[in-house]
Amino acid sequence: MSKSAANSNDLPVPVGRGLRTAPLGTLRRAFPTIGLFSVSVPGALTSIRQRPRRVASRALVHALSVAVAIVFVVPLLWAAAYSLRQPGLPPPTAVEWLPSPLTWSNYARIFQLAPLGLFARNSVLVVAIALPVTLVVASWAGFAMAQLRGRSRQRLALLAIVLLMAPVASLWLTRFVIYRQLQLFDTIWALVIPALMGSNPFFVLLFYWTFRRLPGELFESARLDGAGALAIWARIALPLARPTLVTVAVLCFSMYWSDFISPLLYLKTEARYTLPVGLQLLQQLDRTNWPLLMAGGVVLTAPILIVFLISQHVFWQKERLAGVAE
Amino acid sequence: MDDAYSTHPGASPAPGSRHALHTSPANVRSFRRAFGYRAELRLMLAPYLLGVVLLIALPAGATFALAFTRYDALTPPAWAGLSNFGVIFSDRLFWIAVRNTLAFVALAVPLRLLGALALALLLNRRRRNLKFYRMAVFMPGEIPDVAYALIWLWIFNPLYGPLNNVLSSLGLLGPNWLSDPNTALLSLVIMSLFQIGEGVVVMLAGLRGIPGDLYESAALDGANAWQAFRRITLPLLMPWLFLLSARDLILCAQNTFTPAFMLTGGGPYYATLTLPLLIYQAAFDRFWFGEGAAMLLMLFGCLGIVLWLLHKRMRAWGYAGDV
Repeated sequence: MSKSAANSNDLPVPVGRGLRTAPLGTLRRAFPTIGLFSVSVPGALTSIRQRPRRVASRALVHALSVAVAIVFVVPLLWAAAYSLRQPGLPPPTAVEWLPSPLTWSNYARIFQLAPLGLFARNSVLVVAIALPVTLVVASWAGFAMAQLRGRSRQRLALLAIVLLMAPVASLWLTRFVIYRQLQLFDTIWALVIPALMGSNPFFVLLFYWTFRRLPGELFESARLDGAGALAIWARIALPLARPTLVTVAVLCFSMYWSDFISPLLYLKTEARYTLPVGLQLLQQLDRTNWPLLMAGGVVLTAPILIVFLISQHVFWQKERLAGVAE
Repeated sequence: MDDAYSTHPGASPAPGSRHALHTSPANVRSFRRAFGYRAELRLMLAPYLLGVVLLIALPAGATFALAFTRYDALTPPAWAGLSNFGVIFSDRLFWIAVRNTLAFVALAVPLRLLGALALALLLNRRRRNLKFYRMAVFMPGEIPDVAYALIWLWIFNPLYGPLNNVLSSLGLLGPNWLSDPNTALLSLVIMSLFQIGEGVVVMLAGLRGIPGDLYESAALDGANAWQAFRRITLPLLMPWLFLLSARDLILCAQNTFTPAFMLTGGGPYYATLTLPLLIYQAAFDRFWFGEGAAMLLMLFGCLGIVLWLLHKRMRAWGYAGDV
């Protein structure tokens, strides 16, 4: 604790947000980069009387952040560690950070117990169909909205926001009826069909916000050269919207990969199940074998974690967040 | 360094530039081409709108109609007037589910919002390792619902679950969590409190949008940290808080399904029987589609009223939504 306090004094102080550094504010306006690059100046300018309080508050912030991260991450790490526990051992009565001996056998066992390989293949198939369709439909809609004129654009954006607020649960029953009428019930298409509307109005809005921020002259000059909307979308708009494309792809992957309710409601044949329902099936087979169930949870979660970690640098771009904020 | 002084989100692209595109003489002259372009745009919009009609408008309308019919998915629906509502209103389970849903929403929504606000304020002060903390807070919300439910089913296990092990190592006797009617719903609330990462991220974006100058001039005027929060941060964050509370209301009213379905099945003694679970049971276990739809109408009618009040409140405070 005291160590972190000593260290934190050397950190660049967040000048713009620091409330007791009024002289620095004027400095920052003169030299906008000061908060980013200078290390020693803020500390030097802070009057000596205020320093202990500042150090204490920084230490507190630091400690709290670490505590929060631990509280949020530890349950997941626990579960992952527990999946490596040897089956058949009596359950622990005290906190167990890492089981001993470690074993991978649970991961092999779940694939024997339930046809998880088949379910995983179904899941991959669902994502493989839904993801490209979603990207095309949502970016088309977003592009068209950004290119349309004031009124209709405003209405479409409003529509997307209202749809975003529409509760999905209210559609369970009647989608079931409609899918039966369309012969989609108990087929993979019942899981994939939301891609037809871009999967989530939020994706359409993300594309709309992105395309709207691109300078209009780009599209104008392309149109004067005789390019159609489709060509402008493909050659100009989409390449410039790559961060949004990646973001939507990640969110869309996560959405279809985790979808539990659609297969639960709209599938009947076990051979067509996807991984989330497979996990529920596993739970019904062996209710109290926790190491086994945790292994199943890890198998289901790992692809999402990997995708998020890979795309992290694109996903968190501040432009995107600013777009949300707008 | 991407976290430092981000751009002010109010900096929207100049609307004039694209507007000129439609009124410039060049475009008036090539009216046919412009018309063709707009037709093309409409075509690009078509799949999305078709999907919206097929997957949202049509089912929503049909839900409304279904609520007034007797339908079991086998025989054609028959007009039933208001009898479905009579059935559900006289059903004891319906009122239990209403009470549980209200209790869950009343507990979870404020706690989730406060938690997200507190975390955003905390993380907003960090520069180093922000990415790590943001990821840590964001991750639990991205875990598939089923896996998340299973993990918490294990954590809440009263005999050998890690939560009670931790409590007993602190010398406390943990409750029976999910198998005790008094704590079962609370357990679901606790579980939902870890999935606030999206809210934190949205609020962080909101905080970044507040110009630092405001704080500087406030500090010049001798404002303390609390006053700065109360008079600057909170009012400027209000639109985000409204947005998130509306979203959270909708989510919490319906997202109790998977946890209740996986963890408790509505028990013990109906302590976690929420409306989405009851609707699922009525429609997909017993094929009472009419009653299920009637319950859905009640649920979303109430939700609609709350959202409308929220919207009115927001308008009254001068936050007109501009998209």
